Amino acid sequence: MDLLIPLMVIVPIICALFLNLLHKKDRTIKAIAITLALILPLLPILASYGMHYFGGYAPLTENPTLSTGLPSLITGTALKTFHPAITYSFQGAQKLFIFILGLVAFLAIMVSLFETKRPSGVYGFMMFMGVASLTAILLTDDIFNFYVFFEIAALATVGVVLVSQVKGNYETALKYMILGGIASPLLLLGIALLLGVTGNVNITDIISSLKSGMVNPQNPVILMACGLIVFSWLYGSGLPPFHTIKSAIYSKALPHGAALLQAFSVFTFVALGIIILRIFSYLPISQMIILGVSLLAMILGITMALLQTDIKRMFGFLAVGELGYIGLGLGLGTAYGITAGLFQAVNEVLITAFLFIGFGTIYYQTGESDIRKLGGMMIKTPLVALLVLLAGFAMAGVPPLNAFQSKLMLIQASIQAGLPELGVIMILMSIVTFMTFMKAFHAVYMRPKPVELEIKNEKIPQATILALLVFLAVCILFGLFPHLVTGFLQTLSISLAGGMP
Amino acid sequence: MIIDTQLASLFTAGALIVIGIFAAVFLDNLIKKVIGLAFIGDGTNLFLIAMGYKPGGIVYIYLPGMARDWFAQNAAYPLPFAMVLTSIVIGASTMAVMLGIIMVLYKKHGSLKASKILGD
Amino acid sequence: MIEYILMIIIVLGSILALMQRDLLKAAILTGIPGASLAFLYQYLLAPDVALTQAIVGSAIVPVFIALAVYKTRRVED
Repeated sequence: MDLLIPLMVIVPIICALFLNLLHKKDRTIKAIAITLALILPLLPILASYGMHYFGGYAPLTENPTLSTGLPSLITGTALKTFHPAITYSFQGAQKLFIFILGLVAFLAIMVSLFETKRPSGVYGFMMFMGVASLTAILLTDDIFNFYVFFEIAALATVGVVLVSQVKGNYETALKYMILGGIASPLLLLGIALLLGVTGNVNITDIISSLKSGMVNPQNPVILMACGLIVFSWLYGSGLPPFHTIKSAIYSKALPHGAALLQAFSVFTFVALGIIILRIFSYLPISQMIILGVSLLAMILGITMALLQTDIKRMFGFLAVGELGYIGLGLGLGTAYGITAGLFQAVNEVLITAFLFIGFGTIYYQTGESDIRKLGGMMIKTPLVALLVLLAGFAMAGVPPLNAFQSKLMLIQASIQAGLPELGVIMILMSIVTFMTFMKAFHAVYMRPKPVELEIKNEKIPQATILALLVFLAVCILFGLFPHLVTGFLQTLSISLAGGMP
Repeated sequence: MIIDTQLASLFTAGALIVIGIFAAVFLDNLIKKVIGLAFIGDGTNLFLIAMGYKPGGIVYIYLPGMARDWFAQNAAYPLPFAMVLTSIVIGASTMAVMLGIIMVLYKKHGSLKASKILGD
Repeated sequence: MIEYILMIIIVLGSILALMQRDLLKAAILTGIPGASLAFLYQYLLAPDVALTQAIVGSAIVPVFIALAVYKTRRVED
């Protein structure tokens, strides 16, 4: 039992509440918030692997002192292996994901503190709450606990959008909440059906009762539960039919907020995708659903990005489209494919945050995000332009940057799994992604400056440039040494693929 | 009675969910949409409660003097009930946020029509 | 027997609340299914949930909606 495991969730919540107390002391808040946010990526590095049982209620098999003296009705049956408490499981994959989430959160919060006029207030609170809920979503092994934090993450997303003061943010937030008001109860209904069939909400226990034959795995109720959970998966991560609302959410948030929000949806996608794979992977239809939805997300997201004229909306759609790559990796069902998909998830979080913060400097300087009204920014900020260009290369998968490695792995995995068509589509979509990016880049940086464009803030804060450099460094590091990442993911993906290497 | 209490409760829950989804999707007034969403949440909660109900059982409170085995065989299953407590509170708070947004939007648009406010 | 009556009240009450043109009436009528649900929970062996639902479903939710209606517009257009 490592106390650092629950602290990963508790620290951001305490940060959020504590910073709200210090209202209107901007200078103090800046210093304290950066220090506290720095703890977020450090905690997963320091924590050691293990399980955390809340209240100390370990399964009876692991707790011999408690099990002595109990009747054989309990110790002699499967009851002794069940998890009586909420369980957090912290393994290699979780370590990597929470580190990446913490890193993106730290950089986004740092940039937001320097780019917003008033750092105190609810914005930081919402960001920290979102990080706390996503950490819990990644850690938890209890599907009801997952639902609770899923709701908190949705509320935090809405909060980040509400405080942005971008035109039309309230309308988008309300639309997102109404859809969430339908999707979240359906997730709870799916959980209720699983609970009704197996009598458990712990994912490990649900799987063991399905595998050991205590419950008939071909029960149609389980198929229904699968459908309901997949539906909320579509909502939580913004796959079609929710891709328009999700990209609108990104475009109505401030750029640093959007950088964090896309990390939330990618990790929700990964966490719920892993749960679906773990519980329902024996149903052949689940794999087909994941593959189909991901393919649709990739094609719809990326082609719709090409048609947009608002930079933030464009990258919102690209972020949705990139989710398709992860889903394809997960849907292939082989260990290599799943590793590739999860690697792509890590890369996508980093690169999309990089792009959002990079293009966010334009919004900071001009207050404008329509590409028809922008131009000539290269002269003002050549360094940022170069960094953004590199981010675009990374997204398209140019070596030696990180997405090259993961996209290569994905293509290899699709050929190994006997679906080379998917590889071809992925390459084509990469080209379209790059085209979209170059369209935005050309319009913003290389075209001559329109006369009516006025610059509000001449100088970009040092913190933003520092954040961009950190992102670039991590991208190059993962691109040159991909085994740094895949080493953490191997155990999880082998277990997800049913023990086959 | 032909159908027992548990089955009837499940049907009621299903009816509430269907009514709620109908209201949230097809009614044009934003307040009505929110009321519909509240009904979806209520229906899900009732579904969970009906799942933990035991026909002819007793309340899951272990009083002194009860035989342990008899209690274990007759008590309702308390896990869904604990979940519903959380779910009720989450539903109420989500609804409060939505109503707050609606008040702001009314000031801006002067209308509660979803087709006018949410349609781009 | 009373459970079945409660269930019918819940379904009819929810439909009735959604059919009102006066939104303040709709808000108050939302309390009827909420309160009936609380009674039904009591019959379904969940007294603690019934207490919470009685407060949230029959008082807090209608009052919130009524406040929102009071701040916006009373009659549906």
